[in-house]
Amino acid sequence: MMANRLLFAPFVLRRSFSLSSAALNKKNDSQLVPTKGVADLKDPRTVLEADEMKRKELLRNSVIEVNEPMNISPIIGIPDEHIETRRVRIFKPSKNTMQSGTNNINLWVIQFECRERWENPLMGWTSSGDSLSNIDGWLRFKTKEDAMHFCEKNGWQYSVEEPEVTKRPIKKSYADNFSWNKRTRVGSK
Amino acid sequence: MRILLKLIQTKDAFICSLTKRMFTRSTVRCSDQLFVHRENDPDTKTFEFTIENIKRAESIVSIYPEGFQAAAIIPLLDLAQRQQGWLPISAMNYVADYLKVPRMRVYEVATFYTMFNRQPMGKYHIQVCTTTPCMLRGAEEVYETVKKLCTDPKLFTVSSVECLGACVNAPMFAVNDDYYEDLTLDDVKEIINDLKAGRKPKPGPSKRSGRLCCEPKNGLTSLTTPPPGPGFKVRSDL
Amino acid sequence: MLRFVAASCKRTANNPSCVVWLKECRRHARTSGSKQQQTSAAQETKPKLLEVFIDEKKVLVEPGTTILEAAAMAGVEIPRFCYHERLSVAGNCRMCLVEVEKSIKPVASCAMPIMMNGMKVKTNSPMTKQAREGVMEFLLMNHPLDCPICDQGGECDLQDQSMAFGSDRSRLQVELDPKRAVEDKNIGPLVKTIMTRCIHCTRCVRFMNEIAGCEDLGTTGRGSDMQIGTYLENTALLSELSGNIVDLCPVGALTSKPYAFTARPWELRRVDSVDVLDAVGSNISVCTRSGDLMRILPRENDAVNEEWLADKSRHAPVDGLKAQRLTVPLLRPSKSSQLQMCDWEDALLAVGRALNGIQPSRMEAIVGPFVDAETMVVLKDLFNTIGSENVYLHVDSDLDKSCFPSSKDLDFQKNYLFNTSIAGLEDGVDLLLLIGTNIRFEAPLVNARIRKAWRNNLINDIAVIGENGLDLLYDYEYLGDSTKVLADIVAGKHKIVDRLKKAQKAVVILGQQILKKDSDSNAYEMVRALCDKYGAEFNLLHANASTVAAFDLGLKPSSERKTDNSDEQSLLWLIGVDDENLTIPNNSFVIYQGHTGDICANTADVILPGSAFTEKQGTMISMEGRVQQTLAAITPPNMAREDWKIVRACSELANYPLPYDTLLEVRERMQQLAPHLTRHSNRKLEKPSLRPPPISSVSAQSPVSLLPRMKSLVDYWQTDAISRCSPTMSKCVLSTKKEFDKRGIKY
Repeated sequence: MMANRLLFAPFVLRRSFSLSSAALNKKNDSQLVPTKGVADLKDPRTVLEADEMKRKELLRNSVIEVNEPMNISPIIGIPDEHIETRRVRIFKPSKNTMQSGTNNINLWVIQFECRERWENPLMGWTSSGDSLSNIDGWLRFKTKEDAMHFCEKNGWQYSVEEPEVTKRPIKKSYADNFSWNKRTRVGSK
Repeated sequence: MRILLKLIQTKDAFICSLTKRMFTRSTVRCSDQLFVHRENDPDTKTFEFTIENIKRAESIVSIYPEGFQAAAIIPLLDLAQRQQGWLPISAMNYVADYLKVPRMRVYEVATFYTMFNRQPMGKYHIQVCTTTPCMLRGAEEVYETVKKLCTDPKLFTVSSVECLGACVNAPMFAVNDDYYEDLTLDDVKEIINDLKAGRKPKPGPSKRSGRLCCEPKNGLTSLTTPPPGPGFKVRSDL
Repeated sequence: MLRFVAASCKRTANNPSCVVWLKECRRHARTSGSKQQQTSAAQETKPKLLEVFIDEKKVLVEPGTTILEAAAMAGVEIPRFCYHERLSVAGNCRMCLVEVEKSIKPVASCAMPIMMNGMKVKTNSPMTKQAREGVMEFLLMNHPLDCPICDQGGECDLQDQSMAFGSDRSRLQVELDPKRAVEDKNIGPLVKTIMTRCIHCTRCVRFMNEIAGCEDLGTTGRGSDMQIGTYLENTALLSELSGNIVDLCPVGALTSKPYAFTARPWELRRVDSVDVLDAVGSNISVCTRSGDLMRILPRENDAVNEEWLADKSRHAPVDGLKAQRLTVPLLRPSKSSQLQMCDWEDALLAVGRALNGIQPSRMEAIVGPFVDAETMVVLKDLFNTIGSENVYLHVDSDLDKSCFPSSKDLDFQKNYLFNTSIAGLEDGVDLLLLIGTNIRFEAPLVNARIRKAWRNNLINDIAVIGENGLDLLYDYEYLGDSTKVLADIVAGKHKIVDRLKKAQKAVVILGQQILKKDSDSNAYEMVRALCDKYGAEFNLLHANASTVAAFDLGLKPSSERKTDNSDEQSLLWLIGVDDENLTIPNNSFVIYQGHTGDICANTADVILPGSAFTEKQGTMISMEGRVQQTLAAITPPNMAREDWKIVRACSELANYPLPYDTLLEVRERMQQLAPHLTRHSNRKLEKPSLRPPPISSVSAQSPVSLLPRMKSLVDYWQTDAISRCSPTMSKCVLSTKKEFDKRGIKY
């Protein structure tokens, strides 16, 4: 019941929260007092009782602050075997060598370890028992912290792969094609 | 029966009009040269420079600085072509090996320049200029006549080429290295008959034109007086 | 350039000015390598950077940087077709035109160096946009509209860039100005050509000439008749790197022949992994669809494979891992019967019984070339628990065992690593000495790195001891083929000694695939002694991906196996070992564990189906000591399982249960044994600090010639269980032989 109410209550998320030890942390009494005061009689919402209104208003403006890391895995309905056993790799995708574009390699993606896929015998479509694999490469994060946070929230084990830090600066020149003292000259290859 | 036939006809017509609208077929455009060497293209069995040509090749290569021998590809290919009459693949390979460059580099050069003939040529390569000035002065007839006269492929190869830079003496053609200019159809017949007979006609403007070189046909139109001496139009007090 | 020197010395000798010029030229070529370093070092201390404004973003760049690279630094991507980071600048596609302030015409940014302070580049101005649209219109004029049947569709630069930068209409009138058509070329079984699609960027020509060193590809003709090709008909490209031109091609003119029409890029899942077909540890992306391996692409890593991949690594696993697979456990009920399919339970019970019933001293385990470190750890733990120390790394029986380190050398990592590191070959190597190796085929990408350094005058002095007349893609001095040359050098009697002494950084590479001779040499010791004496860097060029990990974990080379003739029952556990002349002890119970039934599987009593490198997460250590991991891209077929799990399961049935159940626990155990084995990073390279004691004296032995196993490209394609099963590799062998025959080259 408690969980249900909290789920639908309009609260402000502060960084992270955990339901198992969710505590309503009243920061400031004055915050809880509805600013509007007594309900306006012309307001259609006055069908509700003033007390109920007050309580809803109070909930709307309340803040829940939980200091433990957030883990939503117990309540989102994903079976345990898809949470505890999953290993997630967080990495920056490498450039596709088939293309020269680099616009899609500056974000962080998550990838789950491989589970079996098979061809559906009826239509030949790909089937899998692993619905999480479909967020592979599609769910993108601006920073690795975001990705790590997302994995923590969902209760997956993860590892982060840092990309190459330094890249040798490229210094090339058209004149190298005609260089007299280098083997880069065209024709002398 | 007639109705049926008509139906079929209209249907055909409909399909025709449809295809005409939906598909366009472009004319085939291709070069008269082929830039691929076929397995059974003509070739000479072996190619080697003659002793004089080896000397020539050595002196050609020696003018290029160390490491820049690849620059001698064009002159050596020309040398090979002059020796063989055309440029078989074995000659290209020989030049590549002579200069120690990859063979493909030589093929690249030989296919780039149209004056390297990679097909067997007749003894005389007649290049008829058909660019505008020559065309206006009847190059097309010249070309047709040359083609009609030169039937022996071993003796003649006829090709129509773009401007050879002798427009003042149009129309003209080149036989190997020599230019024959101010041609009339009679000149053409004469020259080719001479060539067939193994004689070498005198290159340059034809006798009929009466020109020695590229001077105006009917006498000078400018610079008709002797050039003025020093002090021409200069103030007398200077 | 120096290729011509020897041939033309005579020709220029009588011209004094030319001789002076020649000397100058040589001196410059010799010193320019070190000079460049000095200048670059000076620049590091006192950088003179120029400021450039790219779309009003300020960037500081070194003088000489191209506008295109400066824009990349500013995070502005300029479209390009012909420009490629690792190839020379061609500047022929014109797609990279940008507006530069005060320049009336648009400028090709790939070829325009920045030499002036305060250059203002506009990559989004109307002029730039119009220039791109114009270029795009010209490119598309002759490009066929066959994207739906083109293999490049979905990962095509031309497609993407025409969407992003092209005009939405064309002025082309096909009736008046027909599209060009070019006939397709046959360039071997790996690359399919549809030349009508070609936009003449010449990336393939530059790659084959500059990096692969195969000068057969070029451009013939000119103008709109220009063609990319080999000019000669039906030429297979004689190169071990030709697959890369498929990646380079920005359109669908060059596509992969084995992969043709099998999958679309948007259907594929990419998994980052590491190649195991040689010991280079190339980074790869494995592309799969519905549990089916579709293709393998290289992944950029400047320190290892740059952006290239050898053809065997790219093509062999794709179909090689689909044939001859061991998918179910097999058991031979009695010595005389055939192998029969069985359940895992039966197979494991048989193994358990054998492990319990046989004397530990009569047990041996040998691991093959593709085995991951996890499996080796578990196997070693199991054997040690039982009481056997006989866990070996397989050394092929037709190789000279004296070129390998022996177990006493394995205490120091420096004794068996490629210590210079692959990228280190570009850092001021003064002298490179290759001993008993055909490095071009043993490690194609290391060879490509040497060629790169040689082309840029970073390595100018290369000497070879071993096979004569190898085509290594660069010029080298041949010193001889026998260990006598080595002995001479160690004794200081050889002409190269002066250069060795003078060289600040001399690099010596000893091959690990030297053919066995009647008598054993002591090549390994001699090369070590040589390096110690002259302060050269010692490198082993390993052939197999598992070698370094095995040595790190203390596995001994199998050449140190002691087999006797006793008839007492023995046990031989082979993991992925395939060797025709393997010594199998008498009365032996042979367990074969692996993914491919190649040579040794026939002799086995039990076959445990394992998984290939595309099907498991495992640690691989490259020859330079780089700890990387393969990731599972697909699941093992049918009843096959991950290798370490199989060994773990056997331990349970042998009543020696090992204390780990998950991969992470195995890796914890691995960390106890060798901490560096769990620090996966394909970027950082930890170099060993411990120096082994120098070898001062080497015993004299009769000279033995050091000839590598692979001689020509024909030998390269099929060398291991995976590539032997690959139909594509068989086609490569045939086409290479045909091409060699045509050119009259002996193989």
